Amino acid sequence: MTEGLIWGFVYPNEVEIQWSVLIVLYPYITGLVAGAFIASSLYHVFGKEEIRPVARFALLTALSFLLVATMPLLTHLGHPERGIEIMFTPHLTSAMSGFGYIYSFYLVIVAVEIWLSFREDIVKMALNSSGWRELLYSGLALFSYDISEKALHEDEKIAKKLAIIGIPSAAFLHGYVGFIFGGIKANPWWSTPLMPIIFLMSAIVSGIALLILLYIASMKLRKHPIDHKCLESLAHYLWVFLILDVALELLEIVSMKYESLEEIDIINRLLSEKIAFTFYGVQLTLGILIPFVLLLVIGLLKNRDTLKMILISISSVCVLIGVFAMRWNVVIGGQEISKSLSGTLTYVPVFFHPEGVLPALVIMTLPFIILLVVTYILPPWKDMEEETTQMGSILKKKS
Amino acid sequence: MQPHLKRVIILLVIALIAFIFIRSLIVPDSFGQYGWYRGESVIDNRNLQVGYAGSSSCGEENCHKTIYSIWVGSRHKAVNCEICHGPSNDHVNNVRIMPEPANESREYCGLCHFERAARPANFPQIDPETHGENLRCAYCHNPHKPWFV
Amino acid sequence: MKISRREFAKTGFRVIIGAAVSSTIIESIVTNSIAAEVSPGGGYDWKEHLWGYVVDTRKCIGCGRCANACKLENHVPFDEPVYRTWVERYRVLKDGEVKIDSPNGSINGFEDDIPAEEIKKAFYVPKICNHCEIAPCVQVCPVGATYETEDGVVLVDYDYCIGCRYCIQGCPYGARYFNTEKRTADKCTWCYHRITKGLLPACVQACPVGARIFGDLKDPESEVNKILDKERINVLKPDLGTKPKVYYVGLDREVR
Repeated sequence: MTEGLIWGFVYPNEVEIQWSVLIVLYPYITGLVAGAFIASSLYHVFGKEEIRPVARFALLTALSFLLVATMPLLTHLGHPERGIEIMFTPHLTSAMSGFGYIYSFYLVIVAVEIWLSFREDIVKMALNSSGWRELLYSGLALFSYDISEKALHEDEKIAKKLAIIGIPSAAFLHGYVGFIFGGIKANPWWSTPLMPIIFLMSAIVSGIALLILLYIASMKLRKHPIDHKCLESLAHYLWVFLILDVALELLEIVSMKYESLEEIDIINRLLSEKIAFTFYGVQLTLGILIPFVLLLVIGLLKNRDTLKMILISISSVCVLIGVFAMRWNVVIGGQEISKSLSGTLTYVPVFFHPEGVLPALVIMTLPFIILLVVTYILPPWKDMEEETTQMGSILKKKS
Repeated sequence: MQPHLKRVIILLVIALIAFIFIRSLIVPDSFGQYGWYRGESVIDNRNLQVGYAGSSSCGEENCHKTIYSIWVGSRHKAVNCEICHGPSNDHVNNVRIMPEPANESREYCGLCHFERAARPANFPQIDPETHGENLRCAYCHNPHKPWFV
Repeated sequence: MKISRREFAKTGFRVIIGAAVSSTIIESIVTNSIAAEVSPGGGYDWKEHLWGYVVDTRKCIGCGRCANACKLENHVPFDEPVYRTWVERYRVLKDGEVKIDSPNGSINGFEDDIPAEEIKKAFYVPKICNHCEIAPCVQVCPVGATYETEDGVVLVDYDYCIGCRYCIQGCPYGARYFNTEKRTADKCTWCYHRITKGLLPACVQACPVGARIFGDLKDPESEVNKILDKERINVLKPDLGTKPKVYYVGLDREVR
């Protein structure tokens, strides 16, 4: 059955593709985490005031995706129950061994960062509620209710420091995922020092795109006006990082083709036959070229907020699909060439399989459910609402 | 420092201590004995069951000594008993356990002796189409002492 | 919430110092005191040996008895496309095309499916784990479930492997596979259970033409050393710096 899927010679043990669609999902999810976190730091660390409306929401998004980031890995392991060994006896020469510690460290940073930026709200809710809600919020406040000016000021200072630590952590969390692939000398499609930085740039791009879409969606759901200044600012950053991303991705391909080492024949075959559509079509054209042009157009438009919003949304969807294709092309593409450099394989995703499409879909919907729950418990928009309702009542009084 | 921050730090420290404690319970004792791996694993790998006993154990006194002495002087002496008769360590330890019967088909001999382009030219090969009229090879050739019966 | 550069640098500095201190503390806690390296005992001293393997491709007849014996000796799932050792066939055609194949890892032998007159040259190449001195599979294992023994054999700890398959990706030779019964990575052990008892690996014992030679590199009189001293040898993919301990005699440039 597998015969028709193989061209040329592959080592007999290579017939089975080892890393399935779940492993495509893993860098995709951690990329979204890193991207969302870095977007929130634009406000928290670099003081970009225009990002403020989404800053706290971005943190919650990062947390929601971070909580499921381990799932595709654990589902894929032959012995998930032994997975904790990666923390108990991490073999430090392995690029993968850092995962447990980097992940935990980052989870703590994100959690504390969220806690500090929501603490005032948490305490207020603890004091103004009763029953199980009181218990929940008191617990979240760690039964400490000091929200004096001084305490909040100190919180803010620490939150800022955590955000400073958070940026390199986020970059590391995802850059090292790139190194997991980039450090494999056996595989010419993976082995490049550019891999971590390509992963990082595409992570930032995908994280901002996700944030844009989630922001628009939640504003629409809550029937709340969209802050177009914030949206355009995010679109601007999306555009900038898109340029960096495409520059690196093209640099990789161009230098591979220009140097034309032993593996060039099989790389050319991979690009022209195996992943031609997902690489040139989806990753580069749909994922980069189209959003790049659209975002350029947005910059030229004036006072067309609704049109701009639609174009930004389309660009973001394109970027998200494109980055997924990029992960696919790396993870699956790399396994579709034989390490004998003399043959190719074809990965056929199965739907109902422990490592198939169904679990991937389930894992991919989980963060959105978590986000829904988390935003219900910790509404990130609360302060804005108060502002606007106050403004509304003032306006009413005046009229 | 504010009390609520102290509580966060205490929580983190408790988590860290719990982690170190649980780790000390779960990591196998022999881990790190020789290097970054479970030392016991070397013993585990060494204690796996042997399947192929080796031809010399077939030629023991009271066993297959006669056929062994014929074979050991033949051109097939590099073809160990268990290549055709199958892994027999269990049989050596307990004669009641019989190994699989030897594969006497033409195709089995052909694995080595049918003419193949990639084989060294000086290796004895026959054209299965023209040689031996589809008879079993052992009809003419004694596998224990080729060339003649 | 703007921060000054000074503040940024200060925090950054503290983070680096903190990370360094905590990592040393954690390191000292998590590292079990590595005992002076002693042999696991049992009448076999692994310090006295360093195993090596020679493949003489000029002798191989492609009968596949090695691959067959290996599967039986090591209980490798027989009907699955996984192999600890296998034989490849290379056929360079007169039109310049190179045909490589290894149907069922050579266990059922090879059929001539290209007319002899179209073939310029043809030969077999046995393959097996190279038990690299600098093994990429050992390097990439995240938990220490695969390792190189003192006597130079790369083994898998089947009770510790988490089954992430990173080692399978990391092996440049395709020598590792995923064992669906154990749910772990698996590979050739050079029959560690045999060689530590003075027996030969099953594949070496099964080879009827002496194309596979196994022995002790620390013993100057061993057959492998005699061949290494005399013949012109090569290893597979030497450019990857893995330092294989499977040495090939008569290796063609087409061999991958």
